[in-house]
Amino acid sequence: MKDQPRASRRAFLAALPVVTAGLATPAAQAGQPQPHWGMLIDTRRCIGCQACTMGCAMENALPEGQFRTTVATYAVTSGSGRVGVGVAMVPRTCNHCDEPPCIPVCPVGATFKREDGTVLVDGEKCVGCAYCVQACPYEARFVNHDTGKADKCTFCSHRVDAGLLPACVETCVGGARIFGNLNDPGSEISRRIKAAEGRTSVLKPEAGSKPNVFYIGLDRELDGRVTGESAAEMTWRPGQPSHGA
Amino acid sequence: MNGTVEILGFTREAAWLPWAVQYFFLVGISAAAFFLSLPGLVFGRASWTALSRQALLAALVCGLTAPVALLSDLHQPGRFLNFYLHPNLRSWMAWGSFFIPLYLGGLLLYAWLCLRPRLAALAQSEPGVRLAAVYRALAYGGHDNRTAVRLAAVVTALGAVLILVYTGMEVMVIRARPLWHTPLLPLLFAATALAGGLGMTALFAAVTRQDATAPLLNRWIAASQWLLLALVVAWLVSGLAGVSAAAAEALDSVSGSAGWAMTLAWLVGSALLTLWIARRRPRSLLFAALLALHGAWAFRWVLFMGGQAIPKMGAAFRAYSLTPTPDSLIGIAGTAGLFLAIYIGLTSFIPWDEPARA
Repeated sequence: MKDQPRASRRAFLAALPVVTAGLATPAAQAGQPQPHWGMLIDTRRCIGCQACTMGCAMENALPEGQFRTTVATYAVTSGSGRVGVGVAMVPRTCNHCDEPPCIPVCPVGATFKREDGTVLVDGEKCVGCAYCVQACPYEARFVNHDTGKADKCTFCSHRVDAGLLPACVETCVGGARIFGNLNDPGSEISRRIKAAEGRTSVLKPEAGSKPNVFYIGLDRELDGRVTGESAAEMTWRPGQPSHGA
Repeated sequence: MNGTVEILGFTREAAWLPWAVQYFFLVGISAAAFFLSLPGLVFGRASWTALSRQALLAALVCGLTAPVALLSDLHQPGRFLNFYLHPNLRSWMAWGSFFIPLYLGGLLLYAWLCLRPRLAALAQSEPGVRLAAVYRALAYGGHDNRTAVRLAAVVTALGAVLILVYTGMEVMVIRARPLWHTPLLPLLFAATALAGGLGMTALFAAVTRQDATAPLLNRWIAASQWLLLALVVAWLVSGLAGVSAAAAEALDSVSGSAGWAMTLAWLVGSALLTLWIARRRPRSLLFAALLALHGAWAFRWVLFMGGQAIPKMGAAFRAYSLTPTPDSLIGIAGTAGLFLAIYIGLTSFIPWDEPARA
């Protein structure tokens, strides 16, 4: 009997997933209006550690070298004397747009938007034509090397449906990613967006796709195609030709 | 003035592979070559007869090869069934899946109706030969029904127009790629398809030593290059003058790139060289044919593979490199092999250098 864990410890361990799920509380409460999932990314809190990148890759069993979410890192200098160097992080993922350009182009209707705002791909229908990959303004989609079908961030819908947070949110070291119900004014994401008092932004607002991933502290010059140099372009990579602007 | 260096960026590889270039190249040539077959085979223009027969052969060879390249790009060819089981009619690609069989079905019917008398003649001219029975069966009486030929030509022409429209629109509607998002794109595709169709017809004529077709073909090749140059200039002006925001953004995204400047110079230079050869040597077929084909293929390669190298997000370009894999060099070689096999098959069975009408 001495080796047996005490009942209170066992109960605690058994209850732990329930507690974390309860803390996450993204799932719709009974009788509440349909949630509309969104994400707020506070770039000031991002340290560029790529924990989200790897957490997502592990959670979703992505092929090597393919990612649903990434964190780009920029060195930004101001002034002609190259003074005031700063480092900026731009985490990117599918924006689960309200006007997703990927949906109308899909020839078989495999890409669809759920009532909760999540944009998903029906793998049974997808033909792997990559038309949606071309249409996405955010480079959020790719053709999965293992399945030969369109792949993208799902907001970890399998986790969210079970009352858990997306893997990237769960793994974020600095708490830079806040996920929640945009329809609920009491949710953390809604409160944080409200507290930002209009200082939130989205990627490529000119695309008109109405993203549901919002940013705090995002430099306007980094919200789309970036005019600047790429360290990758400046690096000699044996066996790969140099290119680009 | 801020300066930015992307220390760590992520680029996406090209999602439309060389298969797409091959498909758009071949199907465009096929549609254009079909139209070149009309003056001689439907409208009875004697000066076009030899040219139109070669054009019909080009339309058939390219038309039968093109869908194979398209299916290969789906990674799993059987998936094409979903185009018909779950069509999303808001998508140009979905419409394309209906236009392709319409065009190819019409083309095969049209070619058969044009060739029926010739097949009957072959059956009679080779009594006792094993193929005579096959010719007889294919000729199905060998009746030269001009009304049926005209009706089939109308159906095929509709399919060919729809092919040219959908291939252009399918790419043009993609706002996310400014290089593609220009109303001039369908016209550029049609102009290069015409150049390619003329080039392929001229190549087939050159192979079978039908030099009499050269002056007419070279006149048209020259005209197609003028049209192409005019459209390229119009696109450049629309971007530089700020008339087209997408063209301006596309130019901005590659400004300062020596590679892209060379590419543009190459395309314009090859069009000018084609024009010069076609006018300078009107009785020669081969060089003008190869140059016209090169221009049509290079335009699509630059547009698709080069266009996908331009980043939508971030700063890093990702150029496509050919590799000895099935979706790259081997795919291109395989498409060329299929093209050659169909050409050999059709020319071995039917003598295209003799009148199609018995």
